[in-house]
Amino acid sequence: MDFVLTQLSGFAGAFTDLALDPLTYAYLIISVFLGITFGALPGLTATLAVTILTGFFGNKIPLDYSLIALLGAYVGAIYGGSYPAILLNIPGTAASAASAMDGHPLARAGRGGEALGLTTTASFIGTLIGTTALLVFVWLLLLLSQNIASPEKALLALFGILLSGTLMSEDLVIKGWISGLIGLAMAMVGLDPLLSEPRYTFGWSYMLSGFQVVPVLMGAFAIPQIIEGMRHMNTGQVIQLKGRIAPNMAAIRRYMPTIARSGVIGTGVGALPGVGEDVAGWVSYGVGKSVSKEGSKFGKGSLEGLLSSETANNACIGGALIPLLVLGIPGSPPAAALMGAFKINNIIPGPTIDPEIILRVVAIMVLASLTMFIMGLFTARVFIRILRLPQVVFLPVVMVLTTIGSFSVGGGINDLYLMLGVGFAAYFMNLLKIPIAPLVIGVILGGLFDETFRRSLLISGGDLTVFALRPVAAILLGLNVALVLSQVPLVKRAYMKLKGRAA
Amino acid sequence: MDEDTEIMRARDFWGALVLMGLSVFFLWRTMDIPLWGGNRAGVSSAAWYNSAAIVPLGIFSALLALSVTLLVISIRAGGAARALSAAGTGWNPDETVRFGAIGVMLFFYIVALVPRVDFVLSSGLLITALTFGFHRGLRRRMALAAGAVAFCGGYALILHLPQSEWAAHDDDWVALIVWVALTVVMLRRARGDRVLKAVPYIAVIAPLVLVSAMAFGFRQNVPNRGGLLFKQIEYHYYVTIRPIWRS
Repeated sequence: MDFVLTQLSGFAGAFTDLALDPLTYAYLIISVFLGITFGALPGLTATLAVTILTGFFGNKIPLDYSLIALLGAYVGAIYGGSYPAILLNIPGTAASAASAMDGHPLARAGRGGEALGLTTTASFIGTLIGTTALLVFVWLLLLLSQNIASPEKALLALFGILLSGTLMSEDLVIKGWISGLIGLAMAMVGLDPLLSEPRYTFGWSYMLSGFQVVPVLMGAFAIPQIIEGMRHMNTGQVIQLKGRIAPNMAAIRRYMPTIARSGVIGTGVGALPGVGEDVAGWVSYGVGKSVSKEGSKFGKGSLEGLLSSETANNACIGGALIPLLVLGIPGSPPAAALMGAFKINNIIPGPTIDPEIILRVVAIMVLASLTMFIMGLFTARVFIRILRLPQVVFLPVVMVLTTIGSFSVGGGINDLYLMLGVGFAAYFMNLLKIPIAPLVIGVILGGLFDETFRRSLLISGGDLTVFALRPVAAILLGLNVALVLSQVPLVKRAYMKLKGRAA
Repeated sequence: MDEDTEIMRARDFWGALVLMGLSVFFLWRTMDIPLWGGNRAGVSSAAWYNSAAIVPLGIFSALLALSVTLLVISIRAGGAARALSAAGTGWNPDETVRFGAIGVMLFFYIVALVPRVDFVLSSGLLITALTFGFHRGLRRRMALAAGAVAFCGGYALILHLPQSEWAAHDDDWVALIVWVALTVVMLRRARGDRVLKAVPYIAVIAPLVLVSAMAFGFRQNVPNRGGLLFKQIEYHYYVTIRPIWRS
């Protein structure tokens, strides 16, 4: 009970501080607006929104405002993706792909206003569920994480990269792992963290400090989008909105169990390292379809289907912040961009993080979701107008934004060369259906993996059993091995045989 | 197997070869890092487990193993047989021209123009070229737009390659003239096209607002502070505008 009261009073203090500061609202309104705009424009993603704003707000304003700007954009962008999903049948972000399944049929049936009102409410409730989980579980995990030492951290980082590679692959799973390994390899560039031995610098002094996170993020997420999007394309027919955009309280009350379940699923999926809002949306949609009495209506304009995906993708945000703040392992690609912002502010997320920052993050999430809810209800028609913008108009501006943002983060012109190189590589990786998210997770976690893996060996005198003899390490090692083995065809066949016999 | 998967396996063939090459190259480079108790500047690296090479060795070995696996999967699925034809990899001439034009524009913008030419001018030129080149998907427009950026970039790169010459202004003038010329060509073909008519406004306002916000709002470094336009903007900001509220 004491724990809950302490948490609530800490949160209330942080919330009051922020709520009484007029500048908070200025940053909230701008960032949530930009976030929804990025989400609503097909071709721009939540990750890109957070990345680009990191270039602008990451280290140029006090940390609180910087977090408001980035979290506001994150919350807004995940929600904003539902606009084109419902009105154009084109998901604005991957996270809203499942929302198009039911949202668009609803809009075609003349219920677009109702659908948008429901997604706004569901996104708001979903964000609050994820944020509540963040407030509670982050502390429990922080207490547990005090017992996590180098072997566990190394195995956890590896698990994050492998899991992200496994779940984010559209084609072969090994492509996801290849992507993660490329990211890890990129993190090896520069002076090594224990002996300061230069690695792969090729005599270039810029490389001694390693690859900077922000230009890598900008290159990996912005350049391929720009190359892919610069083509002649009709913007599609935006369905005429009928009815008021207002929360249908009767439907909300009726589907509250669905909303609660989807919120929990979204938070859980978000808490998995490296797995993003798109997976959360689809998992929740799939579960909803299989357990709902109205499962047969999913895909034909079901309100329950729409609520399942929209609640989960926003709840995922709070979930994704749990491993980020507790362990320094981003729970989703936009959280990886957020990690970049923490890094350039010299804050190291993990067991040693200042508890004040966590409370402020929770307070900001609540304020951001409120702002999103109000903007969603009252300014939706502005965002609907934005849907008509062709990609060839806004993508060149995004290129300029990316360039100046990347340049100003610190490394100057060399960061731009890095951004361009990573961008072209990422475009070819997209052509090969090699996912980009594991690469970014690899770049971010590579330093942690290298340092903790070698420190474990150093402490144990080169004894590899250090990764198996500690209880938590043994569990994590088991998870890593199981994850890899589960993708080996021979093991898969043996498992299916065993399953067949058991049946 | 469907057509998309066949194309993907053909691409995987080339992708796996490139990855194998890179893995072998970096494994070779890793050999330069002391592994077995090497001695650097009189300090011994002591043992293998303390070496800075141990993690990279594992990463590049794993990458090599996975690329070999990808190659085997590709060959078994017939990817090697299809990989030698352009159609087999799903690469068509239109896409080649489109990608080539964007590649040229982005390369010259980042490598040649941003460091050497005024940011507003180089970004305005890029925005105009990208929108005009790709709005209708016409090959001639793509070539013209890419040619305009490449000409300005090539001029700046060839005449002012070393950093000591980046402050020169002749390349700024060249970029300005080419930008204006491209805008005139674009507007002559913009009859009834609202998108093209809006481009000159976007091309001027977007970089101007961004560079001013970054330089004076966030007080951050911006590319080419001595550029033709930015030099004037900065002068008037500090000498003409700022004293108004400072006093």
